[in-house]
Amino acid sequence: MNISKYRLISVLGKNIRCSNSRGITTEELNRQNELFSSEKKRQKEKVGRIEKIEVEYEGSQNKTQLVMNKNISTPYDCARHLSESITKRSVVALINDTTLWHMHKPLPDSCKLELLHYHIQQPNLVNKVYWRTCSFLLGALINSAFKDNVEVKLHSFPSPNVRSGSFVYDVQLSLDNWKPETKELKVLSIEMIKFCQKQHPIHCLDVSVDLALDIFKDNPHKTQQIPDIAAHNSGKITLFKAGQHIDISKGPMVSNTSHIGRFTVSNVIKLDTDIEGGPIYRFQGVSLPSSIILDHFAYGILEARAKELNPARIPGSQGVINEDESFVSHMAV
Amino acid sequence: MNQADVSKLVSRLKTKVNPRLRKFRSPEGPEGRLNKLRKTVTALIKHERIELNYPRADEARMYAERLISDGIRYGDCHKTTMEMADYWLVEKQLVHKLFKVLVPRFQDYSISYTKLYRAPRPPVPGDNYSKAILELRGHPYPSLTVDTHSNKNLIHNILLEEAKKAYRNTKYAEIAAKIDAVEEKLKDIEIEEPSKSA
Repeated sequence: MNISKYRLISVLGKNIRCSNSRGITTEELNRQNELFSSEKKRQKEKVGRIEKIEVEYEGSQNKTQLVMNKNISTPYDCARHLSESITKRSVVALINDTTLWHMHKPLPDSCKLELLHYHIQQPNLVNKVYWRTCSFLLGALINSAFKDNVEVKLHSFPSPNVRSGSFVYDVQLSLDNWKPETKELKVLSIEMIKFCQKQHPIHCLDVSVDLALDIFKDNPHKTQQIPDIAAHNSGKITLFKAGQHIDISKGPMVSNTSHIGRFTVSNVIKLDTDIEGGPIYRFQGVSLPSSIILDHFAYGILEARAKELNPARIPGSQGVINEDESFVSHMAV
Repeated sequence: MNQADVSKLVSRLKTKVNPRLRKFRSPEGPEGRLNKLRKTVTALIKHERIELNYPRADEARMYAERLISDGIRYGDCHKTTMEMADYWLVEKQLVHKLFKVLVPRFQDYSISYTKLYRAPRPPVPGDNYSKAILELRGHPYPSLTVDTHSNKNLIHNILLEEAKKAYRNTKYAEIAAKIDAVEEKLKDIEIEEPSKSA
């Protein structure tokens, strides 16, 4: 028994631990979550008298009209009225043929609703949403995967680009010249799959700048980015939460972590930047939704390609990276 | 030494043939077993897609494959084949379907003529048998599985396409480097030759 445990620890590598303990402290995480849930509660109570809206659902075969609650009902609730299979497969909602809408974000007005999934004829927007979610979840993984002696500060992730072959999260680590071993990458991938199997819904919340600064007060990079992001988004910061992890993104994201099928953390590369406080590492990965099944050989080709450095912009101390403006994105990708 | 080549006597099937046949519970003995399978083979030829218990589907598949491959091999003027068709197809109008519809359809096939899927068990208490769907290829019904090949915009197809492009670019770069190396060598030779002649 002891021998097998010893082996397991030796397999896990020097810096990576398996689970439950975090690079970000538990108290800090609880504080963030309390702020998030209290703000969510406050916004829900602010709605006041419940008004009705009419949502016209347009499916591939049928059209339906649903009467929903203004500022309370989400596209996810609409999907639950339709069928279980639609609820499970829907990735993101398309409102009035123009706006992509997160599945768990309340609808503010009467609208035309379309629910997109991975197998539609033109899934470019869906792919982008999926890729963004993968970046976000990679951040959640990195936050929780390292031992306490390694300081982890999430920086940002660039706009999702499926054609580059990998999604990215840039992170500041207090490790000099860390080159991950294959087994360490494997442990990271397994941890990610375990996290996704818990089927966390991904929640979305618009908050003010002050609250966002309060939530991310321990992270100097996020604190620096927040005013600029708010300036481009009419004074609001959009937060996303999966499990206990909270991050800034313009969204939208997929509705649940159960959408993630295969997930590989393919490489970690040290970046050459002038950001103060420690070296920045670029975590890269590749993933496929659970509804798309690919054989291991073809997936191996994708994994091999994802090992090369992603050409996305490298963050610098000047100029804050704005993640793409796709929250109110249009059909063109 | 004088053994005949088996594949010349019996056509080789494209599906796996079980080494041991299943005994289906039947009070009439082996004949009852065959009667059960005749029903299934007839239904398969008639409806082209049937849902049933897995063991029966797997067993009936072998007989259906053999029947169609014999039909293709010997045609409808062969006495033994016609007798076999008469035996296996309970409804006699299906003999015409076998020779006039299925034989022309499967003539040029290099793969199996039937397809077997594992189906989910129905949520009925007491029914603990695993289910299967058995179908003839080239049937007119919509496909049971999702088509992930033809749409180029699906996420895995985009990723594979880009991986292909990246691989080709590295190969082109390698070839270009080789050509450059050869040209440089040629230049050196050209420069050396005049100096030698001088």
